[in-house]
This record gives sequence, structure tokens and C-alpha cells, in this order.
Amino acid sequence: MILPEPDKGVMARRDDIVKALKKLLPPACVIDDTTSMSAFDADALSAYRNMPLVVVLPETAQQVADVMRWCRDNKVKIVPRGAGTSLSGGALPLSDGVLLGLGKFNKITEIDFENRSVTAQPGVTNLAITTAVQDEGFYYAPDPSSQIACSIGGNIAENSGGVHCLKYGLTTNNVLGIEIVTIDGEILQIGGKHLDSAGFDLLGIMTGSEGLLGIVTEVTVRILRKPASQRAVLVGFDSALDAGQAVSNVIAAGIIPAGMEMMDNPAINAAEDFVQAGYPRSAAALLIVELDGPEAEVDYLLERVEGIMKQSGASSLRVSQSEEERNQFWAGRKSAFPAVGRISPDYLCMDGTIPRKALPEMLTRMTAMSQKYGLRVANVFHAGDGNLHPLILFDANQPGELERAEAFGADILRNCVALGGVLTGEHGVGVEKRDLMGEMFTEDDLKQQQRVKCAFDPDHLLNPGKVFPVLHRCAELGRLHVHHGKMPHPDIPRF
Amino acid sequence: MAVYTPENHVQIQEAVMTALADKQSLCIEGRTSKSGLGYMVQADHRLSMKNCSGIIDYQPEELVLTARAGTPLSLIEAELSAQNQMLAFEPLYIGAFYGQDDNGTLGGLVATNLSGPRRISAGAVRDYVLGFDAVSGRGGYFRSGSKVMKNVTGYDLSKLVCGSFGQLCVLCDITLKVLPAPESAKSIVVDCESLEAARRVLMTSFGAAVEPSGGAVEKKAADDRYRAVIRIEGVGVSVNDRIASLKGLVGKSAPAAILDEQQSAEFWTGMRNLSFIDSHAEQVWKLSVTPSRAPAIISAVARNHLIEVTLDWAGGLVWLSGAGAGLGTDIRSAVEKNGGGHATLMRANDSAGSPGAVFQPQPAAIQALERRIKSAFDPEYILNPGKTAKTGAAKTGGNDADTF
Repeated sequence: MILPEPDKGVMARRDDIVKALKKLLPPACVIDDTTSMSAFDADALSAYRNMPLVVVLPETAQQVADVMRWCRDNKVKIVPRGAGTSLSGGALPLSDGVLLGLGKFNKITEIDFENRSVTAQPGVTNLAITTAVQDEGFYYAPDPSSQIACSIGGNIAENSGGVHCLKYGLTTNNVLGIEIVTIDGEILQIGGKHLDSAGFDLLGIMTGSEGLLGIVTEVTVRILRKPASQRAVLVGFDSALDAGQAVSNVIAAGIIPAGMEMMDNPAINAAEDFVQAGYPRSAAALLIVELDGPEAEVDYLLERVEGIMKQSGASSLRVSQSEEERNQFWAGRKSAFPAVGRISPDYLCMDGTIPRKALPEMLTRMTAMSQKYGLRVANVFHAGDGNLHPLILFDANQPGELERAEAFGADILRNCVALGGVLTGEHGVGVEKRDLMGEMFTEDDLKQQQRVKCAFDPDHLLNPGKVFPVLHRCAELGRLHVHHGKMPHPDIPRF
Repeated sequence: MAVYTPENHVQIQEAVMTALADKQSLCIEGRTSKSGLGYMVQADHRLSMKNCSGIIDYQPEELVLTARAGTPLSLIEAELSAQNQMLAFEPLYIGAFYGQDDNGTLGGLVATNLSGPRRISAGAVRDYVLGFDAVSGRGGYFRSGSKVMKNVTGYDLSKLVCGSFGQLCVLCDITLKVLPAPESAKSIVVDCESLEAARRVLMTSFGAAVEPSGGAVEKKAADDRYRAVIRIEGVGVSVNDRIASLKGLVGKSAPAAILDEQQSAEFWTGMRNLSFIDSHAEQVWKLSVTPSRAPAIISAVARNHLIEVTLDWAGGLVWLSGAGAGLGTDIRSAVEKNGGGHATLMRANDSAGSPGAVFQPQPAAIQALERRIKSAFDPEYILNPGKTAKTGAAKTGGNDADTF
């Protein structure tokens, strides 16, 4: 993984840059000593580390705007950072760039039960939003596994998902409005408490833009009434293929569960060793199907799901009889990553999505790849929406293993694309999948995306080196080649 | 004027390249059901999508459908319905509103992002577009998104094309997420003495654990009272349960009646095809606002104008008809003073004169950003010039934002 070549001129000006930033911000908001800065040298993709030029932690949107404008005028790059929980290296610092952390934006500014919305500063954690409204019976639906730590601003940047997005959507489907600061230092209000707006969907394009288009300084999300009832069913299968088919059978029956998760045998055993959730250790695959809603509906659908599971060849089946038991079912799944961390010195977590029907084929290929690379893999899937999280086990202390694990991971993602899927379902491209973008997109596709980037940030100052494998100059991208009378396919009959 | 009728993306590309080379512009057409929305496009040639039609791939168990942009919406909905599935955002059947006997194409639906009553619970058109391919105004063919449900690879350009009124690119194929249709749907009707009381009924309903999928308010001409209508959908046993608990909740203070499946379907079809709007109304406005502020906005406008209103989206959508030169200005001022939002002039007849800009005027910084986005796709402004005035006016300079 290579970051853009640092600009030596900018690095030589470091003292002046720090001095200028200290004029723009209160002294405590600028961190320039190496020891303190090292806390910011990586996000949750900790295999990659890099020291920033300087860290700033502004406290107001106006301060963000001042820093942005100054950086634009002085051609200094900026890497935005929320809580630093990105699994794709989205907040990996640049040696010649200012790391702009939003940790001080930590207040919920408005709770509006009448309009079922919460307005919060971007550094507020995902879970804190639910915590703030749960006494009144509401919650915020997207629930990434990192929800106790990840920030709502980071959720916007990454368009975060979670186990319940099969029914409730990703971040993009749950945001009503944002305030952003552009690289020009403009503070823009996009959306609000109303729904669809006229004009281009700036809210939609900002969500999931990985900090490349602007910095979010306020977020308004919709909250939902907590369902009256939530129950889960734990189903074991002797064959992963049968489990995959069972998932399709549920959807084909017209049932959209709140969540439908799958774990393979290595993941089941790692989780069981770790939290004793009561999973069937001998099962080849385990499904957790959660239904939520009004009690009568949940009971009715649960019965139908049980029937489908039995017909699909389930070897064991348990329905949660209490809230405690439901939480126990989830405990294993939710701790799958740390559980795998216990059985292997290191692991890489991948994040491709495939069409659901390709799941059996993908599992077969995964087994073959595991043999080819000589590395174990444990699989955790958001099976309902085809989102895979293969965990590749390796030991970074063994020479060559990290590289082999990375190659294995890249191979998995290439296979996802080949089966009609995508490189990333919820973790983002960041630096991790940047160089694989060409597997999914043509040069023309990527150039068109970069032209959107140019509309926001013509000098590529915001988070460069992420998402796009090649940075084209905006002037070059903007040039229009008109071929008089020369059509791309002259052999096709004119009409 | 030439009429291009491309059959595939290569021929679309050819038409765009020719237009670029000749410095001429194109009006993109589906079935022209919604050409009454926005300004009249002033283009040199027409690009008809009628030969880019048909469902390419539909896999009910994957909840995904791919169709060509010129595919009639009616065809897509019929195919889905045969599999007990649906477009969850309930596209508006807006053809009749514009005097057409057709509800347009998939491309037109995406270009206008017009969602119906279930938008409040299920999201808008933009929430269901998974991916597309298109030819930009630069003549470039590109793809974005995918055919899977969960994807964050690259920018979400699907969002940008939704509601772009054909001003960024010519859409070729579009992939949508589809959902199972509910087994049953019933509604509850609560008789209210004021708009504010009806709004409170909606607020209570949407804040309760009964998962409403629609919330409207209509005014009864006969007795000057308001009716709040709340729809409950799902499996039969659950619908009956929730209707009963909702009746207990909102029926205490006001008389409540239940619409059975057929009555409920009739009511919400009416909301979808806007049959409640007087066809002779001089101006029809669509207001997207903070739900709790709708009554204040409406009473502010009603101080100076004789208006008719119907609310949807739990109060967040106001269909307002009225007349007079100052109506648009008063509407936008009332929205501005009450939490902000967007007012769109959906239709105006000849007697309206200059009723105001069709689309909500944007702050200068956002306008500038939108112009840069426009240029990123269509730098010569050859696609649907003038359709929304905002982008068209910037380049051509000739489009008066205040006239149709």
C-alpha cells in the first residue's frame, strides 16, 4: 500500500503551518508533538500507520471553515477523522497533511420527538443517539458493530451499515440533513427535518464519500419507534450450502427479517470458545434470524421462518424465549471479531458483497483459496443482504504472511466482483481497497467519479490517496474531446 | 429538429457526440407523462428513449430488478405484482395530473424522484436505485453502483441522478431494489376539528409502536372538518392488531372509523394519483417541510390567499392549490419562517401569469456547487437545457426563471 509521495516543500514549511494553525485555533486545539500525535497515526485498520504533519481538533464549524480555507489557500492537504474506527484506512494520516479530528464535536444539539429526529454534532457516537432517545421508546436504526465507539459523522462519511440494514437501510437511508464545510471554507446546510429536496441530491452524494468531498459538522437523523417485540432464532446446518439456500428461501417467501446473519464452523467455534453463546459446535453453518415488530406479527413470522428452516434441512433450531436469550444468541455473533482475534495472532477482515444466490459458489471458492494461500479463514456474513466478512487468519511475525493474507483478501474481493458483487458493502474503500477499484470500474467510470470530486475539491486537498488508485488532475478530467464526425463505433448504422 | 431513437447505449453515445460536435442540445424524452413539470426544455433535437425499453433481469428472491430507462412504469409494476412484490416508495401516478393517460417510464421516475405515500416509512425513489449505466453530456459511457443491496464502493452517483431531471446524463439501464408487497393493508380515519388536531393524531400514530406506512390529512368540504388517515400494512393478523391498538390510542378524543382493505386501497390510490387536486386550480404547489410546522405554514399562507390543502408523509408533504401573483412568494416566505424546506410549483395554468420560480431557489454557495456538478457531467449544457432553469440559465443566460 503506497500513499501519495509527500510534498517535501509542505513538510519543510511545517513550523510555519503549525504557527498559522495556532493563530486560527485555540492553543489546545493544535497538537504538534510527536508523542501526542502518535495517538492519531492509524485508524482501526492498524496494519497501516503514518504520522500526520500536525493534528487539529477544532471546536466549531467556523474553526473548521477557517482551517479549510487556510489549507486551500496554502495548498496543504487535510485528512478528516471521526472516532478512528474505519476498517479501510479512511482516516490514515498523510505525512504532508493536517489531520482534522472532530472529537470535540460531541454534543447532541436537538432531540425532536414530534418530528422523530435527532440533530447531533459529528463526534457523537452512533450508540449515544439511541441512548439519548431510548427512554421515550425510540432508537437510531443503523447499528455498525463499532457503534459504541464510531461517530455519527464517520457514519456519514462511510455510509455505515450494520446487522439491521436489511430491513432498515444504511446510513444514507436514515439521514435527513447535514451541515458541511467545503474546502473553500463555505458552511452549507443540506436537507433538514423535511424529506426530499429540490436540486441535486447533495445529501446523497456526501454520504459515503469517505471524507473526500467536505467535512460534516452537524447531522440530523431520523429516529424510529422501538419495535414492540424482537425475537431471534438460532439455526444450525450440516451444510453451508443448505444454510445459504435457507436464507434465499426466507426472502423468497416475502419475509424481510430485521437481521439474518450467518457464521461458518471456524467462526462458530471461535465465538463459542469466547462467550459460550450456546452455538452448535458441530454445525457447518449457523444462521441467526431476527424478527421485530408488533408481537402478533413476530410470532406469526417466527412460525413461518421455523417451517422454512426445517424444510431447508436445519439440523438444530432454537427460538429465543426471553430478551436475555436473544442477547445471548447475538453475543457470539457480535464478538466474532475479537473471538477470532484470540485464535490467531492477527486477522484481516474483508467486506465484499455478492448476490445472495452466489453464496454457495463463493463458499466453495473460499475453501479453495484458503488451501491455495495456506491460511485459515473464518466467515461471518450479513447473509440477508449478501455482505461477506471473511476473516483471514495470519501471523504478522511470520515473514511474508501479511503479504499472503493481503493477496488472499484481494483474491476474495476479485471473486466477489466476478460473481456480480462489489468490493465493499459497508467498510468503505479507503486505502485498503483503493488499488482494486479497477476490478469493479473502468477507467471511464472512475474518471466520472473523480469529476464529481473536482466539483467539490479541484486541487485534491481533501483526503487524497484514498478511494481512487490514480489521481487525475481536474484540468485534465475537465477537458472535452469532441471528435467531429468521428464516432466511437463508426460501423453501427446511423439512425 | 431531429428525433433520435437510440436502441442501446452506443447509439445514445453517438447522438450525444453528434450533438456535442454540432454544438446542439438534446431534450431527453420517455413517454412525456411529466413534461409539464419544470420549465419547457429548449433543445435543438429530441432524444426519445422509446426503443430502450424492457426488463433485462428480474430475480424476485434477490429483490433486484434491472430494466432499461425507457421501460413503462406500468410494465414494471405489473411484473412485480405478479410476484407479490412492489416498488416500496409507491411512485406517484402523476400522468393524469398533467393531463396524460400514462404514468411514464423508469427513467422519468428516477429523473424526477417523485415518491408516493409510503415515502414516509419506506424511503424515496433515491433509496431504491442500486446502480445504473449512462451516457454523460460529455459523451462518456459510465457505470455506477451495482446489482447488490449493500454497496459503498465509490461515490453513490445513483443519488445524484435521482431528481436530476436528465441534466447530468442519459440513463440507460437502472437497477432497483424491490420488496415483498404487504399481505394486507387497512386504514384508520380520525375526524378532527382542526388541522392542528389532525397533525397531532398523525404525530401520535407515527410515534407509537404500530409502524404506520402512510399518514395523510384531507379536508372535508361538507363540514369544514379534517380527516387524518393512517395506513397500517403487513401480515393480516398484525394489521388487525395494530389497527385496534391505534384506535385505542387516537380514537379516545375523536371519532375514528376503519377503512377495510378495499376502501383503504382506494384512498391511497387517490393519494398516489393526486385525484384530490382540483383540475382547474390555477397553481398547484408541493411543499416538503418539517411535519410539525405544516399547520403554521398553511395558516400563514391562508391569511392572504384562498387555498385548498391535502397533507401526506405524516404532515411533511403539503399539496397546496390556490391562485394569485403573490402566492408563491408567500408560500416560500412561510416555509422559510417555519423550519425551512422546499416548495415546488408543480403546475400552473395560463391565467397564473408569473407565479414564481418552479423550484426552490438555493443559496448562492449551493447553486455554485450544483453548477460545478452539472459541468462535471455535462460541461456544454446540452442535456435538457433550461429544464430546471437553475442549471440551464447559468450557461444559456436566456431562460427566465419566472416564466413557464
